[in-house]
Amino acid sequence: MLAAAAPTLAILIHLPNSSEKFSELSLLGPNHKAEDYPFNIASNNNYSLFLGVGNHLGYCAYYLVEVKFRNQTQPAPNSFNRTSSSLPSLFNITAFVADEGTWELPLTFSFDFGYNETLTQVNLFSMTLNDVSFDMRNYTIVWDSRNNGFLGSLFFELWVYDTATSSFRYHERFVGLWFNMTSS
Amino acid sequence: MHGLKLLLVSIMLLVLSSQFLAAASYADANEDMAASTLASAEESIVLAYQATLNAEEAGANVSGLLVRLNEAGQLLASAQTEYRLGDFEKANELSESSKSIGEEVQNAAVDLRGSALSQSVQRMVSTMVASVVGVASIAYLLKKRYGSTGS
Repeated sequence: MLAAAAPTLAILIHLPNSSEKFSELSLLGPNHKAEDYPFNIASNNNYSLFLGVGNHLGYCAYYLVEVKFRNQTQPAPNSFNRTSSSLPSLFNITAFVADEGTWELPLTFSFDFGYNETLTQVNLFSMTLNDVSFDMRNYTIVWDSRNNGFLGSLFFELWVYDTATSSFRYHERFVGLWFNMTSS
Repeated sequence: MHGLKLLLVSIMLLVLSSQFLAAASYADANEDMAASTLASAEESIVLAYQATLNAEEAGANVSGLLVRLNEAGQLLASAQTEYRLGDFEKANELSESSKSIGEEVQNAAVDLRGSALSQSVQRMVSTMVASVVGVASIAYLLKKRYGSTGS
């Protein structure tokens, strides 16, 4: 009798889904692998990466990726406090990803920068990402004697649209790369 | 004669400045229009997403809607870039395209939700009927077997 009633019981009784809800954010190198990431960056040279998002939230999600850049003294996202970086976003990328689906965007970027010998610093002028240019004249990088380079980080923060608040909230995930901006 | 020259120069200056002011106010109007279309495109995408979520919750396959939403998102991103670069006409055009895809997705999502709900009701009714028939048949067979043994 139970066997005959099972299909109806399955419709009427909904057990909570106990699987963990999370999202993935990934950055792959130019060969679509987690290797050969660019490090030494020359001014106005093009570099390639792949940005990926995986959705395991249990519903189709509306993501926002904020592209940011910082030097070693500027604020990074904080993994302990689970907060995003307070730096402004240079560029926003949005993606709608199906539940258990993945989304990927090939990125091609270049930096326009120059070396200021008097101040021993690198002055950034602009960045181009997938043919879109942004002004970066407020960004400077000073010499890091310990690591022997002018280090700057390009990072990507993941935000997700929250229907309860009708706004994007930081999804506590970020990926980034450090670059040595000395090659000319 | 001197007064006439002064008058002519004044008229020319007035005409030139009015043209400049007209161009400036036209640019301002373009910028306002582009900003307003951008905002309504963003809103349209959010509404389309919410409708898509509702359709998904009702059991509809929303993969086609997500493809269209990504197209709308890309157009919106391009519109934002053009706006930042000062090409308000292009920004307006791209925002309008993005907005219209958002509206199209919203309507399609409402339809999908409706058909998914009616399908799930049909499925539920047929499953329940099958269960009731199954339980009744088993009860009847048991009654027939054990009822006849007992008598």
